[in-house]
Amino acid sequence: MRNLSFIMRSAQYFFAFFVIAFVTAVLFVLREALDTTLVALLYLVPLGLVTAFLGFGPGIASALMTFLAFNYFFIKPYYTFAVHRPTDVVILVIFLIVAIVISQLVGRMQVSLAAATAREREATQLYELSAALAGLHDELVIAQILAKQVQAVSQGEAVEVSIVGGKPFEFNLPDASPPQRFPEWVVPIEAARGVLGTIRVWRTGPALTSSEKRLLQTFASQGAVALERARLAQAESRARVLEESDHLKSILLSSVSHELRTPLSTIKAAASSLRSNEINWDSPVRPELIAAIDDEADHLNILVGNLLDMSRIESGALKPKREWNILAEIVGSVLARMKHLTDGHRLEVDVSENLPLVPVDYVQMEQVFTNLLSNGVKYAPENTLIRVQAFVENDFVHVVVGNQGPQIPQEHLERIFDKFFRITAADRVTGTGLGLSICKGIVEAHDGRLWAENVSDGLAFNFTLPLIWDGMSPPKLPMDTETE
Amino acid sequence: MSNAPHILVVDDEPQIQRAIRTILTEKGFKVTVASSGNEGLTLAAVNEPDIVILDLGLPDMDGVEVCIRLREWTQCPIIILSVRDSEHDKVAALDKGADDYLTKPFGIEELLARVRVALRHSAGRQGAQSKMVRAGELTIDLVWHIVKRGDDEVKLTGTEYKLLAYLAGNHGRVLTHQSILSNVWDPADANHTEYLRVYMRQLRKKLELDPERPQYILTEPGIGYRFIADE
Repeated sequence: MRNLSFIMRSAQYFFAFFVIAFVTAVLFVLREALDTTLVALLYLVPLGLVTAFLGFGPGIASALMTFLAFNYFFIKPYYTFAVHRPTDVVILVIFLIVAIVISQLVGRMQVSLAAATAREREATQLYELSAALAGLHDELVIAQILAKQVQAVSQGEAVEVSIVGGKPFEFNLPDASPPQRFPEWVVPIEAARGVLGTIRVWRTGPALTSSEKRLLQTFASQGAVALERARLAQAESRARVLEESDHLKSILLSSVSHELRTPLSTIKAAASSLRSNEINWDSPVRPELIAAIDDEADHLNILVGNLLDMSRIESGALKPKREWNILAEIVGSVLARMKHLTDGHRLEVDVSENLPLVPVDYVQMEQVFTNLLSNGVKYAPENTLIRVQAFVENDFVHVVVGNQGPQIPQEHLERIFDKFFRITAADRVTGTGLGLSICKGIVEAHDGRLWAENVSDGLAFNFTLPLIWDGMSPPKLPMDTETE
Repeated sequence: MSNAPHILVVDDEPQIQRAIRTILTEKGFKVTVASSGNEGLTLAAVNEPDIVILDLGLPDMDGVEVCIRLREWTQCPIIILSVRDSEHDKVAALDKGADDYLTKPFGIEELLARVRVALRHSAGRQGAQSKMVRAGELTIDLVWHIVKRGDDEVKLTGTEYKLLAYLAGNHGRVLTHQSILSNVWDPADANHTEYLRVYMRQLRKKLELDPERPQYILTEPGIGYRFIADE
């Protein structure tokens, strides 16, 4: 750096020398035609220009050189440096004064221009930073932007923005590992409620100037504002989520206690009457009571299972164990198991076994079909049609489970998948109000989509399941056909 | 009573202990109860039970670990108990040597059916392996590789027969996907459940009256398959 500026400086002096030499040569050719005073005036032109463009040092050098050249070539006797007349001394002094005055003026102008430019750059950088930070709520992104801007301004070899409090982390530029030495400059990111982090700058070049430091300090406080805003927003949304989950929990508690109490009452009543001597050993009521206990215990088990599934979906712990499965087999096994429930309805199943294999969790998919079908059985009148259809649509398999039950008002089509949402009063139908939200949770965990729509003769649940799994299409298997 | 089969129940919940003990004792079994994994391992070593019924959620150690430790020295049947939604644990225990599983809450018929299958298989291990498996109208001759439905011979491909023979040879027991794949195909194919799905479907079409509602080859969701033969 230092070498380069030395070369630049020398080049300026050489250039000044050449300009004066060139002007001298031109004037020398015209010497006989020009008056000495005119020559002195003409010399002021290059002198002024050189000083204006090259600054003080080259200006003074040019003034001296101009005087020497003028004295040597243009004042009689020619080719001597002897000064005979006092006016010649005056000319020298004028040359020097001109050089000094112009260089001072130009210098002052350049300084104020540089200051203005610097101020404008600072303002631009500050503006860019605050524009980039505006509306951000992610602390990591804020730290990244801050680091990038600090890096751009400081031109340092490395920058680290470390955030403390909440989830502490560090973000480093240009790569993840900062240099193994003390940074050249550290500034805290300070907000009203304390230190939120620090910015570290490593720069081996010239020390940071005071204006650079001031700018970086401003950056730090901009960062602090953005971070604080992000944290306040997070705190607020946390508070809102807590409030909502609190509300849901109280709904859950009332719904669950209602739902649990129904089978429990049946079990209690049946078991206690069996224990008492009120019912004879050979009474025909006995097997009925025993069957009721058995059925209601199963019902309780399903309720508890639903609650567990829901909490798993909500906490994001529901991870499908995907395998290539035959959809027809899943539907078949669900229908076989639900036979006693669907007896009152007519079934129409169109799920071809020639559909491609689908990458799904067998158990979870069974549950989706079970819940959608029992929903249809529950709401659609007896002897109506329940349809299950599946077909391939691009890279998805599209499943429709339709029933001829009552339609759902348009504004509720989305909401029926919310927990505990019911259109009918809770005491008129059984269930936890969780079945459909569990279906939605499972289908979405499979990267699919579940929605309901009113069709001409009733209601249809639609869902899609991707056929592509980890970039792989459904496998096609070579069959062996030779028999034993 | 000294000839009664001895069952060791390892479960930490007193209610379950009470229920299983009452039912099994009533059915003429000799029952010992352990409340922790370590106690279970000790009692198993002392009493050499005929069957171990093992809960997977024990207070002191993982049930799968108990399975592994038992299998280091005994081949006695292990039936695991677990709650719903832990297919992963069940499969892990089955692949580590457990013979069968029951999901809590379970019915008494299920429990007794598992115990019967377990006793038959432990007898089979000591020699008298069945050569002929009957299930409804199906007859599977494991010696001559002949499968009949009623009086008609069913034509099976090589892989289909191997699959059926493995299932029928272990009838009554649950077989995990992995164990079927590595026994019928190759241990390297243990993750290719799709082979199983497709061949099982073909097999059911040839054997079952209604392939949608199989009677002989049952799907154990998330775990594997079970072949049901006549007792």
